[in-house]
Order: sequence, then C-alpha cells, then structure tokens
Amino acid sequence: MLTNFGIILLFFIIGFIFVGISIAAASLIRPHKPNPIKNATYECGEVALGSPWIRFNTRFYVIALVFLIFDVEIVLLFPWAVVFKGLGWYAFAAMLVFFFILTLGLVYDWGKGYLDWEKPNPIVPVLSDLIDGKK
Amino acid sequence: MFEQDIINKFVTNVGESIQLMQPEVALLITFVLALVFDLIFKKTRSIAGYVAILGFIVTGFLLCTADSANAGGFAQMVAIDPFSNFFKLIILLASLIVVVMSLFSKELYTESRTLGEYYSLIAGMTLAMFLLSSSNNLIMMYLSIEMMSLSSYVLAGYTKEIKRASEASLKYVIYGAISSGIMIYGISLIFGLTGTLNLYEINSFLANADINLWALLVPTLMIIAGIGYKISIVPFHFWTPDVYEGAPVTITALLSVASKAAGFAMLIRFIKVGFVDSMFGGDFWAVLHLDWQHIIALLSVLTMTLGNLVALWQTNVKRLLAYSSIAHAGYMLMGLTVMNDAGVAAVLIYFFVYLFMNLGAFFFVLLIANKTGSEDIEDYQGLGYKAPAISVCMVIFLVSLTGLPPTAGFIGKLYIFTALLQNPDFIWLAVVGVINSVISLAFYVKVFRNMYLRKVDEAKETFKFSIPSIVLMFALAIPTLLFGIYFSPIVNWAEQSVGIFLR
Repeated sequence: MLTNFGIILLFFIIGFIFVGISIAAASLIRPHKPNPIKNATYECGEVALGSPWIRFNTRFYVIALVFLIFDVEIVLLFPWAVVFKGLGWYAFAAMLVFFFILTLGLVYDWGKGYLDWEKPNPIVPVLSDLIDGKK
Repeated sequence: MFEQDIINKFVTNVGESIQLMQPEVALLITFVLALVFDLIFKKTRSIAGYVAILGFIVTGFLLCTADSANAGGFAQMVAIDPFSNFFKLIILLASLIVVVMSLFSKELYTESRTLGEYYSLIAGMTLAMFLLSSSNNLIMMYLSIEMMSLSSYVLAGYTKEIKRASEASLKYVIYGAISSGIMIYGISLIFGLTGTLNLYEINSFLANADINLWALLVPTLMIIAGIGYKISIVPFHFWTPDVYEGAPVTITALLSVASKAAGFAMLIRFIKVGFVDSMFGGDFWAVLHLDWQHIIALLSVLTMTLGNLVALWQTNVKRLLAYSSIAHAGYMLMGLTVMNDAGVAAVLIYFFVYLFMNLGAFFFVLLIANKTGSEDIEDYQGLGYKAPAISVCMVIFLVSLTGLPPTAGFIGKLYIFTALLQNPDFIWLAVVGVINSVISLAFYVKVFRNMYLRKVDEAKETFKFSIPSIVLMFALAIPTLLFGIYFSPIVNWAEQSVGIFLR
C-alpha cells in the first residue's frame, strides 16, 4: 500500500516520464531548422533581453482587468454552486443580479470600444513628398 | 439538517439586511442605470449625470422616509443607525451638488471626452461612502475605503490630458496605496491581538482583557493613519494640496466634503464602538486602555495650525482651499477630543455647515475658471465688479469659512467651542482653535481683498453666467446665511443623530 506521500511520488515519476516521452517523440518527428529568434527564451512575445523599462500598450491592462473580473466571478460561483440546492430561488436571483452587473461591465467595455485593439497606423512616406523635400 | 438551518438563517439575514439598506440598493441601481443610459444614448453627453441626479433624489427620499432603524445588518457587518443616516445625508447632498456643479464645468466638457464614467463613478463612490459611514467591521471598513479610493483615484485624474491632473492622480494612488497598506497591517495586528474584526467584539474583548498598552497603541495608530489619509489630518496630509490643485474642481469639492465626511463617520464609530466602555452610561465616554483624548487633541492642534499657517502663503485658490480644508478637519477633530455626545453633535453640525460653505467656495472657483481659465488669486482682481452677484455669495462663503457671525460657519465653531469648554482640561485647545480662526481670517481676507479692494482699470467688462448656475450659487449661499441665524433645527437633528447603534 502506498502512503499519501507515496502517491505524490508516483505523480512525480509519471510526470517526468510523460514529459520525457513527449519531448523525445517531438524531437524525432519535428523538422530541425534552428535560428536565433527561435532559440530565444519565450517571454509572451516580448524581447527577453534588454532594459525592462520599455513602454507597452496600456490596453494590456484593460484586457487583464476584464479577465480578472471574470476570474473573480468563477471564484464566487464555486461556493454558490456547491450549496445551490439548499439556497433555492433566492440565491438564484441574487446570482442573476450579480451576473447582470458583471455582464453589463463587459457590454460597456465592448460598446465603448475599449476592447478594440487599435491597429498601428504608421505614416508611410510617399516618394514624391521625399523628392519635393517636404519631409 | 443542521447545515440547512445555517443556510436558511443566512438567507433570511441577507433578505432582512437588504430591506434595511434600501438607499444603498437605490444607489447601486443608479450606478448601473447611469452606465446603461450612457451606452444607449451616446449623443447626450450628460445623460449619466441626469440619471445620477434622479437616482440621488430617490436615494434621498428613501433615506428620509426610512423609519429610524437601529439595527445591524449582514451579520453585524454594517449598522443602520441615526448616526450613519446623518452622514449619509451629508454625503448624498454633497454628491448631488457636485453632480449638478459638474454640468456647468467647462474643464470637464471639452471635446472628445465621454462623461458616462465620470458620473457613474461618482454614484459608485457615493455608495462606497455610504457603506463606510455605516461599517461595523474592520474588513468592511477597509473594503469601503478601498472602493471609495479607487473611484476617487480615477476621478482625480479624469481630465487626463491636463498634466497636473495626471500628476495628482498618480500621487493620490501612491499615497493611498501606502496608507491603505499601513491600515490593513494595523487591522491584521488588531486581529492578532483580539481575535476578531467586529468592533463590538473588539470592545468586549478590550473591556475584559489585560492588554499591553503598546501592543494596542501601534495597530490603532496605524488604522488612524489610514483613516487620517482620507480626512487629511496632519502627519498624513501631504497628498491633499497636490491632489486638490490638480483634480477637476468638482472632484476637489467632492473629496473635501463627502469623502471627509465618510472618513469622520468611520473615525468616530471606530473610537466609540471599539474603545468606549459601553457599561458607562454617562454623558462622557470612558475610554478603554488608550488615552484617545490626548492623541486626538495632538492631531487636531497639528492639523489646524499647519493647515492655517501654510494657507497664508498660497497663491492658487484651489491650493488655498485645500489647506483651509485641512484646517477645518482640525477644527472638527477638536469636537471629537472631548469624547462626549455633545462633542460629536458639534462635529455633525459643523459638517452640515461645512457642506454648504465649502461646496459654494469651490463652485465659485469653478465658475471663474470657466471664464478666465485661471485659479490664481492674482487673477481674481476686480471680480467683485465684474461678477457682482456670485462674488457676494463668495464673500458669504469666505466669512462663513472664517467662522464669523452671522453666517453658519460661526454656529459650527460655536458649538465645537461650547463642547470643548465643558471640559476644563481642554480649554487650552479651545484657545488654540480661536487663535487659528484669527490666522485663517488673514488668507480668506486675501481673496476678498483681490476681489473687491484692488480695482483694475478695465473693470468695465462683466462676466455673464447662466441662470441655473446663479441659482445653484444662491442655493448654496442662502443656507449658509440662513443657518447662521436660524439654526435650532440642525442642532436638534444633530443631537438626535449622535446615537450610534450599540449592540
């Protein structure tokens, strides 16, 4: 018989084997064409090396906040769902109000266009302008 | 089943509590409706403002018609009592007036700015202040303070293209974050010490336990620091001038009256429910363990002296009014020093009076800034001749802020000093207060002198103001004068409102 920690050990071992097999299988199947960018550490699309004092789009925060709201919603939903049977219609109505307010927040963000990712609009130099010496 | 009983009890409790908190529910609906209407009617920019005004009126109606309940709701998290109702009415009036003021603000109504968030955030902030003025539990108190602060951070920087507004907002966030961090640390220490967060239970614990005085002093001072930031009492005041100067005038007015009222409500409740021996039935409160009287007296002297002395050197009217509002927080703390019901009643009277005179002064600043784009005292030269009607109102507000008869400010100060003089130990504090009032005369007169006594040559041109704005100005000025002469209703009302719900 395994003790409780024995089960955890088993998980570790199976985890290592599982990951090992996946990596081994991948290295057999995948094409091997490395380049410097591909070999760089993956950091969610940011450049991994250099000063961290860079400017990045504040829209990340808006998306993060919207995500966070629904994250918290899940946290509040779990205990509610567990005792739902005992609570009855009253709790159901209360949760609907809660949902409504949260959804309204999302609709508001959407309607006001805060979720639209503004595409960069670069000013492309026109050749004739350059020749005329305007810019 | 046992669990089912607990659940049923909980559901019943929530239902009953919601019944008690109808004004708060109305505010929540106002907040939601303001957002919805702003989404639907995109063309009308002030639609959320109108919804907020309507919602505030309904809330006020519910608040006034609610039977004078004296009960705790949500498992003693909040208390509905005459005391909280008084402060709620002050907060509601202030928010209502600020929303109406905002409709006249040129600063806010620039092109390409949506104002839906602005008005709905004011409604949300009002809800938070309502909760703060009736919270009974340290966590509830902390959450309401945070909710209030988060709205006010955004509102302070609402005119984000103006550099100083963004600066104000950033400073406010940083100071606010530190203060709330200190406060929650104090709360956790209190929890470690007493094992509870409920103010009543803290009280009964303190009444029976033998506690190391220092162990109690440190966390309570930390909590005082947190509340002190909100009401800008002196060692914690340094955000006030910058934020008040940078924020839109309307928000400065809201911060100086409503959020201060909520903070004071919390401070008084924290001390009275948490630290006053409830076995003692007399007029004076017997305080447990800590010498609150001298702590508050010290803070009060520092607050009013620094506020008044620094105000003497200000050249920006908003900054001047910021220091003046610090000084007024000091005067109000004097009322709390005596630790009796008369003192608290004096604070309530003072707040009611302060509401009209301070909002009025800020409204004058707003109207003048609309015309001249300046908030400098130097630019107020000759305003008494250019804008006679509203300048007269401003003089009333200035006289009232100084505390001279026959204005309401005098009545506020009178009751505070009367409460102080009942206690022979604190006559020195009353003397300091009077000296401070005399100092404050100097800088209020400076504004007056610029408006009337320094005549400029091109005084011929006059400013025209819209009729509604003049009506609002007089609606603020007339009570300031009227309550200086006929003040017994407020005094009666305040004396009935000192009753804090005691379990």
